Amino acid sequence: MPKRILAFAVVLACAFVSRPAAFSQSQSSPADDAKLRERAMKLHREAIVIDTHNDVTSPMTDEGFDLGARDTSGKIQTDIPRIKEGGLDAEFFAIYVAASYARNGGSARRAMDMIDGVYEQARRHPESLEMAFTSGDIRRVHKTGRLAALMGIEGGHAIEDSLSALRQFYRLGVRYMTLTHSNTNNWADSSGDINNPNIKHHNGLTDFGREVVREMNRLGMMVDISHVSDKTFWDAVETSQAPVIASHSSARALTDAPRNMTDDMLRAVAKKGGVVMVNFGKGFVNTKAVKPSPETQAKIDEIRNQYSGDQATMRAKMRELQGPPPRVPLEMLIDHFVHIAKVAGVDHVGIGSDFDGVGGQLPEGMEDVSKLPAITYELLKRGFSDADVKKVLGENFLRTMAEVERVAKSLQASGAKPSTAKIGAMAKN
Amino acid sequence: MVDEFVSQGTYPTIVKNMNHWIASFLLLLFIGCSLFTTEDSQTDDAKLRERAMKLHREAIVIDTHNDVTSPMTDEGFDLGARDTSGKIQTDIPRMKAGGLDAEFFAIYVAAKYAKEGGAARRAMDMIDGVYEQARRHPESLEMAFTSDDIRRIHKAGRLAALMGIEGGHAIEDSLSALRQFYRLGVRYMTLTHTNTNNWADSAGGINNPGEKRHGGLSDFGREVVREMNRLGMMVDVSHVADETFQDVIETTQAPVIASHSSCRALTNVSRNLTDDMLKALAKNRGVVMINFYNGFINTEYAKPGTAAPEKAATAATMEMLIQHFEHAIKVAGIDHVGIGSDFDGVDGMLPGGMEDVSKLPTITYELLKRGYSDADVKKVLGENLLRVMAEVEKAAGKAQSSGAKPSFAKINATKSP
Repeated sequence: MPKRILAFAVVLACAFVSRPAAFSQSQSSPADDAKLRERAMKLHREAIVIDTHNDVTSPMTDEGFDLGARDTSGKIQTDIPRIKEGGLDAEFFAIYVAASYARNGGSARRAMDMIDGVYEQARRHPESLEMAFTSGDIRRVHKTGRLAALMGIEGGHAIEDSLSALRQFYRLGVRYMTLTHSNTNNWADSSGDINNPNIKHHNGLTDFGREVVREMNRLGMMVDISHVSDKTFWDAVETSQAPVIASHSSARALTDAPRNMTDDMLRAVAKKGGVVMVNFGKGFVNTKAVKPSPETQAKIDEIRNQYSGDQATMRAKMRELQGPPPRVPLEMLIDHFVHIAKVAGVDHVGIGSDFDGVGGQLPEGMEDVSKLPAITYELLKRGFSDADVKKVLGENFLRTMAEVERVAKSLQASGAKPSTAKIGAMAKN
Repeated sequence: MVDEFVSQGTYPTIVKNMNHWIASFLLLLFIGCSLFTTEDSQTDDAKLRERAMKLHREAIVIDTHNDVTSPMTDEGFDLGARDTSGKIQTDIPRMKAGGLDAEFFAIYVAAKYAKEGGAARRAMDMIDGVYEQARRHPESLEMAFTSDDIRRIHKAGRLAALMGIEGGHAIEDSLSALRQFYRLGVRYMTLTHTNTNNWADSAGGINNPGEKRHGGLSDFGREVVREMNRLGMMVDVSHVADETFQDVIETTQAPVIASHSSCRALTNVSRNLTDDMLKALAKNRGVVMINFYNGFINTEYAKPGTAAPEKAATAATMEMLIQHFEHAIKVAGIDHVGIGSDFDGVDGMLPGGMEDVSKLPTITYELLKRGYSDADVKKVLGENLLRVMAEVEKAAGKAQSSGAKPSFAKINATKSP
């Protein structure tokens, strides 16, 4: 291509992505880039880096996977050596309770099993890991150079419709709960089966679901709206007296997946003082992903419903239907951070990797937890200030967590009592 | 009654060999003495009651089984005010009147949860009920998790609230769940309730041929016992089958308790412990906590050697209850007996004079009356349980410091013998 045309093409491309030319890769020399990488690594090491969603808890609990040694199977994205390389300071281990437990029973027990898996890692590796329960704990553990281990329940059915069980999970150290997983439960609709006509839906949260949100506020457990249906999101935002989080969701304006958040939702989370933690899964960040046709969507829903208990088969069937997934460069992931920072504000975005929860389907350059410094580098490269990068890496989340703690304290101090509401006694909408 | 009988029987034989005057004089003297003695015994009794009350107040009084947790959890019953329904035996005013210093609230999980699911969640609900009472009444109640906590809270003049799971099916066959229950503060667990679970035979339903039994503890059941030892959760043999009891004694590395069981030699029901079991418990350095339920203490209703009738006893006397304490002390030794009332767990079928928790000082009085020393009475009231609990804690500390790791045994991977 003649040089003049090439130059024109570059300008045109820059204009299209509406990004300041100063930050486009073509203009930085290798020396500048090395300097930027160095600066990024320094900043990353200084910052408190928090990830709010990691599913390595499942192999920890079910396969006896130990975080201590570097995984050599190639199937796991998280272990202590790579957590250290990645400069990660606080991890929320997902206490994931599969939908099958809602159907077959044992949800609360399953959550306890997963919780035990996290405590066990902290017991085995006290030099590297410490259990943390407050935003203050995270800061303190960070100063000691260890990883703060926290827990968040994934799937509100874990509480088996009992606010007493919710309180015991808080007591055991759980600090957030996604109101649903991919299944609509007895009090909240999920995005995962919202189009399944065989599922009884509630049009968002039921009265009891609202009581769950209020009780989480009173306890100081973060209300997590990742996985819920859009209506549940709005009900949760309306009901919650504290900021809410999306522990692992990205931007729907870029990737049209029901698990991602619309711009209106991003703004609503910002208005509440909450934070959206960007999910790294290819399916959530691939900006080439377009909304499937109604026919394809119907097939997708059918596969989801049919294989909801068998993720591996579900993925295989999905691939069969949709063909091989397109390339997802790191750029696409960063676009989500940039978009959310633009729409919700730089105070309302963070990291919710979903490592070990997306079948290894991760963007190029973000294959495992050791690659986290690339986020810092990329954000600096896009012109974020050091202070703003630190916000994204962890300070936003810490602010939200501290505010949730403050609201709980204030509610308790003003006499809010544990709710004794029972699901049977409340209207199900 | 006994002394009076002896006097009446011996008096006339003395009189026969004496002349009239001397006899008359002696008779007058005797009447005088008798009057004096009666007056004196009344004073003695008042003194004994006073001494008993003083001792009872000084002592750390511990009850290891109370089912008021069920109305607390299901009916919103609050311990704060004296119950006026007449249906409840436990509330803070009466606990104070009864001089109770530590209560183990039963985290009772009915057998139906084993069948229908939700056992672990039900246990969490009950646990929440206990914490809630401590939250509501901080001036009277404080959660306690160790033997030292009990002593400290006793000094502060409050009631120590502890928790014990009733029914091993609460853990839903998961040692991880067992550990979370320990983490939530549970400090004992009866390996079964009246239902045989997936790893331990119960004394209940022993004649139910449809129930799959293990001949005591399965391999996984033994692992549960060992994990409880490692954690420092007391292994509770109340409710288990005799074979399970033997397997527990064989397996445990720490003293065990029977949180609410009485003596089978006096009342022949399977929930009570045989003399051999009492001896085995003593050898294990454990403790049997006497259950107050009429059906377990009525010595007329289920005489040894005869089968217990179908219908439970509805009446028993204080005398019968104290006989169980005495028998257990005689067979197991004074260091191995305590109080496991089962208040609010027996439909109010309690001996006359022991109608509710406020009547506990009667135990102290009755034991003193039977000649037990102050020190021995204190053992029965609480020191024995404290010793066992401290030993269980020590055994756990030792196991952990010598490298014993949490067990991740799965029930399917271990076989039933």
